[in-house]
Amino acid sequence: MSNIITAKHITKRFTAHTALDDVSVEIPAGSVYGLLGPNGAGKTTLIRVINRITIPDQGEVLFEGKPITEQDIYRIGYLPEERGLYKKMKVGEHAVFLARLKGLSRHEALVRLKDWFVRFGIEDWWNKKVEDLSKGMAQKVQFIVTVLHTPKLLIFDEPFSGFDPINANLLKQEILRLRDQGATVIFSTHNMSSVEEICDHITLINKSKNILSGRVDDIRRSLGNNIFSVQFYGENELLNQGNSAYEIIDMQKDAITDLVTAKIHIEKDSDVRPVISMLNNAVELRSFTEIIPSMNDIFIRAVNGNLK
Amino acid sequence: MRNIGLIIMREFKERVYKKSFIITTLLMPLLLALLSVAPTLIMIYGKGEAKSISVIDNSGIIADRLESDEDVEFVTIPNGDLQEELKKSLESGNFGLLYIGEDIVENPNNIQLYTNSSSSMLIEETITSQIEDIIETERLKAYNIENLKAILEEISVDINLSTFRNDDEESTASSSAMSSLVGIVLGFVLYFFLVIYGSIVMQSIIEEKSSRILEVLVSTVRPFDMMMGKILGVASVAATQIIIWGVLIVAMSAFMLPAIMPDEMMANIEAVQSGADVTAMAASGVDIEVVTAMASVMDTGYIAKIVGLLLVFMVGGFLLYAAMYAAVGASVDEAQDAQQLTTPITIPIILAFIILTMVMNDPNSPLVVWCSMIPFTSPIVMMGRIPSGIPTWEIVLSIILLYLTFIFMVWVAGKIYRVGIFMHGKKPSFKDLYKWMKY
Repeated sequence: MSNIITAKHITKRFTAHTALDDVSVEIPAGSVYGLLGPNGAGKTTLIRVINRITIPDQGEVLFEGKPITEQDIYRIGYLPEERGLYKKMKVGEHAVFLARLKGLSRHEALVRLKDWFVRFGIEDWWNKKVEDLSKGMAQKVQFIVTVLHTPKLLIFDEPFSGFDPINANLLKQEILRLRDQGATVIFSTHNMSSVEEICDHITLINKSKNILSGRVDDIRRSLGNNIFSVQFYGENELLNQGNSAYEIIDMQKDAITDLVTAKIHIEKDSDVRPVISMLNNAVELRSFTEIIPSMNDIFIRAVNGNLK
Repeated sequence: MRNIGLIIMREFKERVYKKSFIITTLLMPLLLALLSVAPTLIMIYGKGEAKSISVIDNSGIIADRLESDEDVEFVTIPNGDLQEELKKSLESGNFGLLYIGEDIVENPNNIQLYTNSSSSMLIEETITSQIEDIIETERLKAYNIENLKAILEEISVDINLSTFRNDDEESTASSSAMSSLVGIVLGFVLYFFLVIYGSIVMQSIIEEKSSRILEVLVSTVRPFDMMMGKILGVASVAATQIIIWGVLIVAMSAFMLPAIMPDEMMANIEAVQSGADVTAMAASGVDIEVVTAMASVMDTGYIAKIVGLLLVFMVGGFLLYAAMYAAVGASVDEAQDAQQLTTPITIPIILAFIILTMVMNDPNSPLVVWCSMIPFTSPIVMMGRIPSGIPTWEIVLSIILLYLTFIFMVWVAGKIYRVGIFMHGKKPSFKDLYKWMKY
């Protein structure tokens, strides 16, 4: 899979601080790419650099392998974190204005907008004034306008802020749908559950540096502590028999169902299969699952500097 | 370029379709017309009742000759006692009491006016001028010269100076009073135009910045295009307004003035316009100053030239100042913070305005000439000078300097704008702006 965006050794200093310090990211085409990091880490600056809004002090950005040009901007849809609309304009008129700025003809803009407005169930907003919309409603309009010109690359900065769970879900579905249609989506967020749900790749930026990059699955697996959850019926003591192969961290028995849930730790790099067969012989095994750290845990651990 | 066009269109639509724009644009000329006829209307309808003044005349020569008019009515009280009449006057509630001393001819200061309420300049003026005339006549009488009145009338003289420009090929009569008046009015128009529309540019950029629309636009529109779109959009609104006003005013002067002008005057004006000998007309007792002035006001060619130059300087001046206002607007978050940064913009405008008043005295004094060349003051000051007829090269040089400066200023403002629109929170200083310029 080729990379749609390759950012190499980007450094951007502002007068008082360094916003990006030698950050490199590779964004594979056709992926949903999460850009994570605490507030003020430099996510928005990185997005602006990719977008050609901010010029980096050092480093370069490649769009499909070639240095990014002004024309490439028309193939990017960008939804900024802080976003506004002209209050006095009518929703439809405003959407057409923004769509035309992105290079669509008036007619094309109208056709596509009608389609999206129907999909989002907001046809009757067309003649409303922007100032009458709630924040979430305005977000929907902004989202539509961002994706309207079917750009190859979509960049959403905090797309979920201001959305209720139902609309956030709608947004997730749309993001996945856009990916399936061939777009690449980059989004920054603090919403870790959404990362697990829809991101293929992530980059975690902390204090202006890229501290973690890769496929979500790989990262979660590699950062797992080899802790497994075991559920079985039987006596608690039975688990102790294979003591040498694993270490019991926690064990609880449900008083009503008699189901025992235990957490065990298996030495890194040791084989898991012998443990399973050992357990299978000892107890009536119901489940055996690896506890993979949530993105939330990884985020907190990474930011606090204890990944390993 | 396409995007600049879209932004201009949006800006234009939003402002021109507003009710307030339509109302002010149509009402303003009406208001101006009303203002210009207001003094006459007030003269006709605003007359109060004549003020009644009791007069005690101990000299016996003044009271009979005082003439009452629509402002003052003199009531002579023969042999009145001052103290008693003062009381009576207060009770009757008239305007007041005038006391004239016995030796008024020898001692003209022996005269007092007691008023029951505040006095007025107009009434004092009427009284003194009448009494001065009476005393002068009395004193002249003492010399016993025959036919004095006739002699005086014969020597009295009233000069109308006919001014001509010597440098033009055909010397047309010009009126310096009229040119300086037109100049001041044009300078005024430019001054208000620059200040009002300049700050509209600033205000709306601040608004767009704080509502974060700029963030949305900036991904597809280059900041420079955004700024130029805004400036030109507001300019197109201003141009629309001025053109509407211009058409209304020209229509008024072309159709209404001839209609209300006396026929005789109109004939003279037409004579002047068609190049008649002004000196001959002056000799025949026509007030040549007024006629030439009116002739130039109704001369469409003259108006077209002035309006054309007005547009050139307006565009140049507006772009220059709007660029500066745009830079300030992009740098701050709230209108209150803009105060300090707009100082360097308002100072040259106000300076130009002050110098404009000096143009009236001498349109060619060194200070005025210099300021009509320096780009920051030139639009206003040059507009003040143009009606009095100045060499073409001066106008051309001034225009070239103005437009070069505006290109430079737009470039500088573009740099500040690009950085400023993303700066939130901190109020920038001039030092910051300088740094942004070099980014």
